[in-house]
Amino acid sequence: MGVFRNMRRTLRAFVQPARVEHELQREVAFHLANETEKNIRLGFSPEEAHRRAKVDFGSVDAAKEAHRDGRGTRLVNDFIVDTRLALRTFRRNPGFAAAAIITLMLGIGANVAIFSAVHDVLLRPLPYASPDRLVMLWEENEDRGWVHASAAPANMLDWGEQVRAFSDVAGYASFATSATLTGTGEPAVYQTLAVTGNFFRLLGVRPAAGRLFDDSETWSGREPSVMITYGLWRARFHGEASLVGKTISLNGRDVRVTGVLPAEFVLPGVTAQMFRPTAWDPATRSRPFFRRAHWILPVARLRDGFTLSQANAELQTVIGRLQREYPATNTKMGGGLTPLHEFLIGDSKRPLLVLFGAVALLLLIACANVGNLLLVHASGRTQETALRLALGARASRLVRQALTESLVLAVLGGLAGCLIGFWVLRLLSVLQPAGLLPSGEVSISWPVLAYVACITVASSLLFGVAPILWSRTRAPGEAMRDGARTGGGVRVKRWADFLLVGEVAIAVVLTLGAGLLVKSFSNLARVKTGVSAEGVLTTKVSLPGVRYDSSYKIQAFWTHLTDAARALPSVASVGAVSVLPLTEPSWTSDFVARGWPAERIGVDVVHRDVLPGYFETLRVPLLKGRYIDEGDRADGEGVVVLNDAAVRQYFPNEEPVGQQVTFNRVPDSTSVWYRIVGVVGSERQGALAEPAKPEIFQPAAQRGSGTMVLVIRATRDPEALVPLLRQSVARLDPGLALADVKTMTEVVAQSSSRERFMTLLLFAFAFVGFVLALVGVYGVMARVARGRVREMGIRIALGAQASDVRWLVVRRGLTLTAAGIAIGLGVATAVAGVLRTLLYGVEPVDPLTFVVVPLILAAAAIAACWLPAARVSRSDPMLALRAE
Amino acid sequence: MRGPVAPASSDVLRGTLDLLVLKTLALEPMHGWGISQRIQQMSRGVLDVNQGSLYPALQRLERNDWIDSEWKTTENNREAKYYRLTAQGRKALGVETANWRRYVTAVDLILETT
Repeated sequence: MGVFRNMRRTLRAFVQPARVEHELQREVAFHLANETEKNIRLGFSPEEAHRRAKVDFGSVDAAKEAHRDGRGTRLVNDFIVDTRLALRTFRRNPGFAAAAIITLMLGIGANVAIFSAVHDVLLRPLPYASPDRLVMLWEENEDRGWVHASAAPANMLDWGEQVRAFSDVAGYASFATSATLTGTGEPAVYQTLAVTGNFFRLLGVRPAAGRLFDDSETWSGREPSVMITYGLWRARFHGEASLVGKTISLNGRDVRVTGVLPAEFVLPGVTAQMFRPTAWDPATRSRPFFRRAHWILPVARLRDGFTLSQANAELQTVIGRLQREYPATNTKMGGGLTPLHEFLIGDSKRPLLVLFGAVALLLLIACANVGNLLLVHASGRTQETALRLALGARASRLVRQALTESLVLAVLGGLAGCLIGFWVLRLLSVLQPAGLLPSGEVSISWPVLAYVACITVASSLLFGVAPILWSRTRAPGEAMRDGARTGGGVRVKRWADFLLVGEVAIAVVLTLGAGLLVKSFSNLARVKTGVSAEGVLTTKVSLPGVRYDSSYKIQAFWTHLTDAARALPSVASVGAVSVLPLTEPSWTSDFVARGWPAERIGVDVVHRDVLPGYFETLRVPLLKGRYIDEGDRADGEGVVVLNDAAVRQYFPNEEPVGQQVTFNRVPDSTSVWYRIVGVVGSERQGALAEPAKPEIFQPAAQRGSGTMVLVIRATRDPEALVPLLRQSVARLDPGLALADVKTMTEVVAQSSSRERFMTLLLFAFAFVGFVLALVGVYGVMARVARGRVREMGIRIALGAQASDVRWLVVRRGLTLTAAGIAIGLGVATAVAGVLRTLLYGVEPVDPLTFVVVPLILAAAAIAACWLPAARVSRSDPMLALRAE
Repeated sequence: MRGPVAPASSDVLRGTLDLLVLKTLALEPMHGWGISQRIQQMSRGVLDVNQGSLYPALQRLERNDWIDSEWKTTENNREAKYYRLTAQGRKALGVETANWRRYVTAVDLILETT
């Protein structure tokens, strides 16, 4: 109660200061009036009576002041006054204020942008029900080098049934398929992902419209259905609620739209716009291939009361049982579980944390700079401060004022930083390669604002230390005597030196990090892809299985399409491949050659289909034998072509061409044998940084692939071909659409887009940090030089050469810079290891980078020291002396 | 924060002013000037309240919730701020009085030891 009443009183004093003041006025007046009357009664004249009353009361103002202090509003009032004062100071020194605010804006803005991303990707829980109870299950296999691999569907189903610690297990496909939507406007191709019927229910997703899939849709037997993302619903179907329950035509089949996923739904790593139930044939459950092909990502929900380790123990038991029960498929097939969020953010975590570290360093540099600015600013006010101290201001009061000034600066910088930060983030989320930063709408969230508030206050304390030290170093008399001559106490000088060394060291760390990434990226850009990308157009075409239900029909279409493409103007050659290099993972197979002993097996060899002309179009060199050509037909002899890497690994000392291979691990009488007819150069199939894997190519005509990527080499701008190609396809089949139309050059660039983005960002941050550090060096040296103008004047008057004087100033700057660089190198050597997984072909402590970067910094620092030094040395000795 | 200005004279010790004010208000609600007069009277003119420190003291007591205030009209038809003891203040008066007695006894004991 008392506390409450006190708060009310303080609040009243704060909200109605005039009224409280007036009451006190009246009370004092009443007192004086009574005292005067008493004195009159005692026989004094009215004037004398009044005078005595006042004398007795003592200082009215002192009483009032004491009263005011007692109101509890002193701190707040002072703060308001100080804030006004600070703003007035900034208006009077717009250069100083602008420099400080812009510096802080850069530092805080970078933090806002990167922290938003960190928060969105790493910190914010996934938008599912109790997301902390969800785990990702994976398989691993030592022999095949599988780590965190997708699972075989049959294994997933067994885990779901046999591990009691899981209340349920669902799964989604590790790859998306293309579905062509027809019937509403232009045909368009969308990525479709298969999920088990219980998948969305297990996640706890609430549909924006309609309902979720039914558990039973894991198995076939119900009519085809699909769920679409909110984005697709709005973009393609104008958000019509009536869409739900209707059928749409996908790949020529009528598919019922079950529901629409909510706007906030995300599945990190998945960009599909449509989801369909797996609808497996129940009969496949017992088939070996259901346990042999590993392509589903299982997600389990922990049953209440079970811990992660309990669940893992049970899972291991079940895995062991399956290994014994199904030796043909499950030998050495291990597995495990990881919390879902941790698993899904795996790839983004380190780059984001590195960026986060970089912006934190950037903010430190910014703070050091502003600290230096404030020191200069404070030293310009030495006399004012001294005067106030002499007039009785307390040191603590001055410190409070200085801190308020810092805080006001930080808040202004923070506000500007917020604006620029969110703007930058929006820009980044558009420019980014898929999957690193949150995509789409980036909203201002409370945690981000709280973070900004924290770093704002923290930075104001950081750089506010300087003026506090300043105000405490000087006795008023000394300061007044000194006059305008700047210099400052030893402590201030040390602090300024510390700031300088610190920011140079941080800039070294930041720049070295960026240098390493730049070198790594240039290595990546020089990687030989194995294909010649210039002048090649690529596009994916998917044939709906409903209408293309035989390999004969499929082959006929591909022949017609390639013929039509070849007839287009400026087309030099045409081919096609089932999966384009440097895009998505392709199927892999195991194989054996005829005559190999039982234990000799080719494991997980990349297995792609090509149409004749593929190698020629991408200029993949022929090393032996022949390419796949028009003669390799469905009814002809089965043939394959190997890449160089496969020959080196599996046929190191023998002639591969002419040998026969089969895709059964244990060949029997039913095995189909294929003759090796040629060897081609190796392409980088997956990421640029991964060496080419052994690979076997088969003619598409002998496999009947319904989805192929066309590659077309043109003698002129390949993109000009797109409309013509579209017409050709529409003439052949109006229900088809071109998907992923890109030039091969774009494909290659996109394969390293993440690295490029990361390098660019870190480079930008390092550049800003570098420039800020140089500005800092310059600022400190300018201050030092200004403080020594008189000394230099005397030296010159006594006959010192300008060069000697210059050297005096430059030497000091260089000593500090060298100390900063040495510390920075030390720190960088210690922490460079965190970059290891992000680097390609560069050791974290790369000698060249560690020499070149500091040299650049040192050269720039010399320039920054030289300018103020040169100015001092040019100063006229008489002027300098007279300035006192 | 700056403390109240210390009384220049030794008229009333700072700690005891609060006690005297509480005692005065225990008799009847009173305005500031009245309190100072009453203390003077009751001490038969020995204690002279430094009037400048009286008002900060009143404010302090009010913040402690030991006294309450309201504006009322005096018999001479003037507006004055009357202070009144609260229940908490009455309790505090008891405690403070006991403390004071103990203090005085202790000081006496020391002074009488020869």
